[in-house]
Amino acid sequence: MHKTAKRSAKAAAAGVLALTLALTGCGSGNNTNTGGKNSATGGNASPAAAGDDTAPVTFSIFMNGPGQQPTPDNKILKQIKDKTGISFNMEFLVGDLQQKLGVMIAGGDYPDILSGDDKLINAKAYIPLEDLIEKYAPNLKKHYGDVWNQIKDESDGHIYVLPSYGVYQGKITEPTYQGPGFWLQKGVLEEMGYPTPKTLDEYFDIIAKYKEKHPEMIGFESLNFDWRVFPLQNPPEHLSGHPNDGAVVVDNNVAQIFADKDMSKTYYKKLNDINAQGLMDKEAFVQNYDQYLAKVASGKVIGMFDQHWNFQDGEKSLISQGKLENTYIGFPLLYPGAEEWYRDRGAVGTNRGFGISINAKDPVRIIKFWDKMITEDWQKTLQWGVKGEDYEVNADGSFYRTPEQRNNAEQTSWQVANKISGMFGYMPKIQGTYSDGNAADAGTQPQEFFDSLKPYDQKILKAYNKKSWSEFFKEPKENNIYFPAYSIVLKDGSPAQLAQSKLNDLMIKYLPKAIMASPAEFEGVWQDYVDRIHKLDIKAYEDRMNEGIQQRIEKWSVK
Amino acid sequence: MSDAVLDKQVKKPKTRKSKIDPEIGVELSWKTLKTQKQLIFMSVPIALYLIIFNYVPIWGWLMAFQNYRPAVSFGQQEWVGLQQFKFLFSDDTFLLVLRNTIAMSFINLVLGTVTAIGLALLLNEIKLKFFKRAVQSISYLPHFLSMVIAAGIVSTSLSIDGGIVNVVLMKLHLIQEPIMWLSEGKYFWGIIGASNVWKEVGWGTIIYLAAITSIDPSLYEAASIDGAKRFQKMRYITLPGIKATFVILLIMNIGHILDAGFELQYLLGNGLTVDYSQTIDIFVVKYGLAMGNYSLATAAGIFKTIVSVILVLIANNVAKRLGEERLL
Repeated sequence: MHKTAKRSAKAAAAGVLALTLALTGCGSGNNTNTGGKNSATGGNASPAAAGDDTAPVTFSIFMNGPGQQPTPDNKILKQIKDKTGISFNMEFLVGDLQQKLGVMIAGGDYPDILSGDDKLINAKAYIPLEDLIEKYAPNLKKHYGDVWNQIKDESDGHIYVLPSYGVYQGKITEPTYQGPGFWLQKGVLEEMGYPTPKTLDEYFDIIAKYKEKHPEMIGFESLNFDWRVFPLQNPPEHLSGHPNDGAVVVDNNVAQIFADKDMSKTYYKKLNDINAQGLMDKEAFVQNYDQYLAKVASGKVIGMFDQHWNFQDGEKSLISQGKLENTYIGFPLLYPGAEEWYRDRGAVGTNRGFGISINAKDPVRIIKFWDKMITEDWQKTLQWGVKGEDYEVNADGSFYRTPEQRNNAEQTSWQVANKISGMFGYMPKIQGTYSDGNAADAGTQPQEFFDSLKPYDQKILKAYNKKSWSEFFKEPKENNIYFPAYSIVLKDGSPAQLAQSKLNDLMIKYLPKAIMASPAEFEGVWQDYVDRIHKLDIKAYEDRMNEGIQQRIEKWSVK
Repeated sequence: MSDAVLDKQVKKPKTRKSKIDPEIGVELSWKTLKTQKQLIFMSVPIALYLIIFNYVPIWGWLMAFQNYRPAVSFGQQEWVGLQQFKFLFSDDTFLLVLRNTIAMSFINLVLGTVTAIGLALLLNEIKLKFFKRAVQSISYLPHFLSMVIAAGIVSTSLSIDGGIVNVVLMKLHLIQEPIMWLSEGKYFWGIIGASNVWKEVGWGTIIYLAAITSIDPSLYEAASIDGAKRFQKMRYITLPGIKATFVILLIMNIGHILDAGFELQYLLGNGLTVDYSQTIDIFVVKYGLAMGNYSLATAAGIFKTIVSVILVLIANNVAKRLGEERLL
């Protein structure tokens, strides 16, 4: 008895010892690891500097969104490996991003390449890239030439992340429209004789008439959930002819909030009216995002204001059910006298893309790789695919796809073996058109787009005498230099940020109240709402926005 | 029971000076340490675990007195004293969420305990084994649902478009037209309370059922001989028999009174009900973490912890005075 006790005590001691060893082992493991990395940097630096190096190397990449791993024998990855010697160890986000970042930052355990994130920038996880680009990457330098000042981090003026989207060349051909608009079902338009509403009255008139004939339909839908509040909050700025600058409108480089202005009151009064007519969905403001998508996917929603990408998952489900007549076309409604600015030239996505981490084995090799990838030949391979396999070329040099190639491109199983969409989404890329006039990818090639549409969609477009969905909107004007104002950074915990957050809370709470109120009560609710807004420190918020706008005008103006 | 006896036994020697610890009843000395060295040795990893994961992080409380910025070294943080706490208690929203938290917690505590004991009593009276097991299993299944799914089920049931609650009430002619349950602040606490009962009642029952089984059957036999009916047996044997369990659970739950929950309120709340649906935890996420204001979040956390500890101590003390079982 006594002996066994002793033995178990020894066993326990051994256990504790093992645990301690494991813990310290972890620590020292890390050390050797960094040591290894250091020596790798030292070893590789000289040949890389000497010229184009094609020695096999693997870079680890972390991407801050979920995605699908390409297959091991992926066609494009194989080509990259053959020509540059580089292969990748990709890690897509699984689970919660903030948690993952927290662990990464706490441990200083970064892969070679990191997708852009403000938190990582604050933690100084990236190396500055501007010198590397000047020295080793002429193509990248050319690519980012016009936005060179814009892509610098606002706080310290270094370039940490190479933006993946928003740098255009040639013509912007964008057949599918992803932005804001007042949407109507194609089937509704077909039945009503293909009208083109231009004002709120015309728009709701169509909805009212259609709903009269089809009472089971939902008239007008909206969403007021979590951060997806723009379907409710943004319409006034678009109706009054402003681009999407977030919670402010900017006139003559001066920003002000519009939530308490007449341009807002007019719109919400109108919604209050249509609610009284029974056209507004009663559940619009209590539903969550999934319920919203489910309603869109049910095909029962006649129309809504939203940005297209926000309800696209619902529409995808309609498409897969073959209910094309329930998908949507957007219209740019305006107040009388306002000039349209719904479509905008996507602003360059500063700090969204790839950066090189401070732990990277060979930054020069990485920047040279991206430099090579931004050349037109490689871009065609990355975006269109391999000529003769994934796309064909006409006699006049324009690219197109056969029906079989189109069909392939829609299959996920084909994509993971033949595309690297997951990683490419974060890489520097050409948008617009190549120097030979072809669009950057198959989705934006106008004729290719029209041909790939289903007959029903082609019929609708023909009825409107248009070639693509974005033609329902005017060509975007040149962006203001500071655009978009919503990306101006409000310092964490600052009065400006607090005011913005409280303003948002008031909108979330009072706008539904005002819309659901009986028409007689609307004035009272609106007055209460405006009074409460005026109690906030709105000035702090507007001042910070104007300061940001002035800074951008000063810093970003090129030449 | 046995503890209470022990208590009385050791109370007498307490008056004279001795090395015997009144709570443990064993002499504290090197000798005892030595004889129990295996036990002590085995408890070292647990103690280490507690220190590393439960005590060392308290260091982070210092953040509440700073204007904390991540990735800035400790020496360079800006110290702001009690500013975060002042902001908390002068903010209308915080007082509102405090009210909501306590209200919902109280509703959950009362409803949760009453329904769990009630169901346990009823289940205990069922003699048909199979039926009893089936009811028990079905009633605790919702416990294993994730809150997201539970919230989805709740909001679907309350929908005006064919939700079961409105359909049933309409069929019973209790209401004329469907009610938008989730858009009215005044219904919100009730909805949360009812949802929690639905989700947790079966799970809460398990522990009371276990307590009931440990009651000496001879007590029931004696009561039967004395002519006690079913309800009398419940009233005079079963209920007093589970009183100790009830008190312990109550003390533990009182410590969590400021944890009214996060997910359910977060998922069911919306702009129209925000005055009733926000809890402290949601407040912390919205104004602390989402805005990178870690100091404010920490201050709110400290407030919660301190209130909880005080409440537990009070409850424990009350239980002691009433001569009940206690936790500490």
